[in-house]
Amino acid sequence: MSKRSITCPEYQERLNTAATLVDTVKTQIRQGAIKKKNFVWLELTGCSGNIISLLDGSNPDFKYLISQMTYFIFNNSLSASEGQNAMEQLFGVLGSDFIFAVEGAVATKNNGLYNIIGRLNGKAVTALDAVQILGAEASYVIAIGACATHGGVSAARPNPAECVGVQSVLNRKVIKLTGCPCHPDWFMGTLAHILLYGEPELDSRDRPLLFYSTLIHDRCPRRSYFDQGIFAEKLGDKTCMFKLGCRGPVTRTDCPIRQWNEYVNWPVEDDTPCIGCAQFGFPDAMEPFISYNTTRNSTREVNDDQENRD
Amino acid sequence: MTKKIVINPVTRISGFMEIQADIENNQVVDAKTAGLMFRGFEKMLNGRNPFDAVYFTQRICGICSTAHSMASTLALEDALGVVPSEQGRYLRDIIHGCEFLQNHIRHFYQYTIPDFVKLPEDYPLFKADHYDFRLPREKNDRLVKDYFDSLDLSRSAHEMLAVLGGKAPHNHGVFIGGITTQATTDKIIKIKSILHAIDKFINDRMLPDVNTIAEYYSEYFSMGRGYGNLLSFGCFNGYQDLGTLYVDPLVYTGGKTRVFNPDDITEEIDYAWYQDTQKDTKNGDKPFEADPRADMNKAQAYSWVKAPRYNNLPFETGPLARLWLSGEYRNGISTMDRTIARVLEVRKIASIMNILIDNLIPGVSVQKEYTIPETAMGKGLIDTTRGALGHWLRVNDQVISFYQIITPSAWNLSTRSNSEVKGTAEEALIGTPIRDINNPIEIGRTIRSFDPCISCATHIYTGGKHINTIQVVQ
Repeated sequence: MSKRSITCPEYQERLNTAATLVDTVKTQIRQGAIKKKNFVWLELTGCSGNIISLLDGSNPDFKYLISQMTYFIFNNSLSASEGQNAMEQLFGVLGSDFIFAVEGAVATKNNGLYNIIGRLNGKAVTALDAVQILGAEASYVIAIGACATHGGVSAARPNPAECVGVQSVLNRKVIKLTGCPCHPDWFMGTLAHILLYGEPELDSRDRPLLFYSTLIHDRCPRRSYFDQGIFAEKLGDKTCMFKLGCRGPVTRTDCPIRQWNEYVNWPVEDDTPCIGCAQFGFPDAMEPFISYNTTRNSTREVNDDQENRD
Repeated sequence: MTKKIVINPVTRISGFMEIQADIENNQVVDAKTAGLMFRGFEKMLNGRNPFDAVYFTQRICGICSTAHSMASTLALEDALGVVPSEQGRYLRDIIHGCEFLQNHIRHFYQYTIPDFVKLPEDYPLFKADHYDFRLPREKNDRLVKDYFDSLDLSRSAHEMLAVLGGKAPHNHGVFIGGITTQATTDKIIKIKSILHAIDKFINDRMLPDVNTIAEYYSEYFSMGRGYGNLLSFGCFNGYQDLGTLYVDPLVYTGGKTRVFNPDDITEEIDYAWYQDTQKDTKNGDKPFEADPRADMNKAQAYSWVKAPRYNNLPFETGPLARLWLSGEYRNGISTMDRTIARVLEVRKIASIMNILIDNLIPGVSVQKEYTIPETAMGKGLIDTTRGALGHWLRVNDQVISFYQIITPSAWNLSTRSNSEVKGTAEEALIGTPIRDINNPIEIGRTIRSFDPCISCATHIYTGGKHINTIQVVQ
């Protein structure tokens, strides 16, 4: 799975979390102990990068998700049907036990007309309508990626479409999987947990502790350089990226352990600073992403006790 | 009698799009393509640190994020007067190549195949709304298998990308000077081995698969032509020692190929929801001049995709344009040729990547400390997966003061121009025979042959101006 030779048991346990959960789902579905649930994944104002990231996932992969874990009903990027038929499929889940995943922010300007997701019986359906209708009835709502969790890049100043996170338009619990994009394991592991045991344990901002409990900085392989005060002066250097604006010290994810795309790499190992894409407040509160030999102004940092735009 | 068809959402594309088509005697006589989502990246970029544009603009699109890191990096290099080393160019062009592989494999199998191949009905996601599936069972089964097997290959194309670019989507590697990290022997051999597997899949599976579809849906060679104007900003070209491995900046119109001149690009907005406050827009604005504002009260506007033009003409950009301009494929210009070109291009890109990888020198750092000038301007023009992409930027007081983006899908899916000339895809739909007006699959097939990326192409949307039709109206 990984080229690292670290022996700390916590590392291996963390890497195995999603895979273990999913294997258990497979067994229990086969034994009839749990049932597959209906599942819809809606893309809203964003870049559709989270569904692409999901397709990048392995163990489990997309085929496993649609064949073994869920009845995957609708997704803008993957549905075979289009137009009216696609919209009927999407809203056909109402009245059933379904899980509702959303990527992208909700555009609120002009009553949501800045993002039309389709037409149902000739009438334009806004993203705002769809989230409120499906979100009210879903058994679980999962916000996937920075735009869905808090507005993300879609809500970057001056926020021309008046985008907000999904939570802002729903009066219910929304599980928040931050990240730009969200790592496929963070989603798959959370979904598997829901299918097996219900809602995973969440932190005070509704992120699953399974994946969001530690700071990048605390698990960074370059931490010893930080402790010794050895800092990179340009991208490409092999030392601590703090003075180039690294957001590892404020960002809660397991990127250093898990890594990306078949677990081969992550931004710091690519000799660039973490830009805090998995932290609330991204992007505006995490900028500048790149600055040379500048220690950041700490007043711009967002920590977990502060309220963000949500 | 004219019948109006409205398709919304057009699925299996990136972003939100509506197509309106007027049908007479089972033929499309008029068509409008509309982008239906607002984000406003150009306004968001004002006031930001210029370096951040590389990572920020990638967030325009999740399937072609690397494209924006390439164009913004080129624009910054132009503004800062940085000339990257050849090793730097090789490295970032390899990353760009990984995105071509990922995008084209996904587009062909996950976005295109469901139009032509009957996917398993026990998956609700694959519930089709038409009956025009023609492949014999054995061939259909083979393509279904390849639909699922392709998921591993496009995934490993992103794995290759991450080896040099940190992660995907939204890589961290492409930057001024080339890429951020160094090629090492282990990384080079890892990339080569993954590329070998992808290349084998392309040759053994993907090419036969597209040929099968072309054989059973052969009338699509005579549909979806459009104007036949083709354009490329060039890519994998002009290396010091390697020369041009793919295509130089060229345009093709009226049967003649000419050298591309960036000064001949304009954008027109008469049929999009914008108002230009700068000057008379009769002939459109050049990229550095245009700074339009939203205008929701234009009676004739129907989309927030603007209308880029070259010498006042609409052009097609993308794989078919590139293969045509480089002289590698000149069978024809049609829905099926466009689909075949995308597959042929994957094979071409894989061969180019092998050359670039073989010319890498391990352990070369291409990064420096860069300084942002008080004022500067630059442009970055490059062909990416879907076609010609341009970023134009100005820097003032060391921050971005102006940003302009013209995307491939804006070229292909544009609105009418000021002189009422339809956009490229709109024109391509004209004359399309519609067999069953209740299941107008032909429209989606042609539109998807352009691989629309409406996330990239749209800047704003407002309601209230659409004709309030149902999907099919007598």
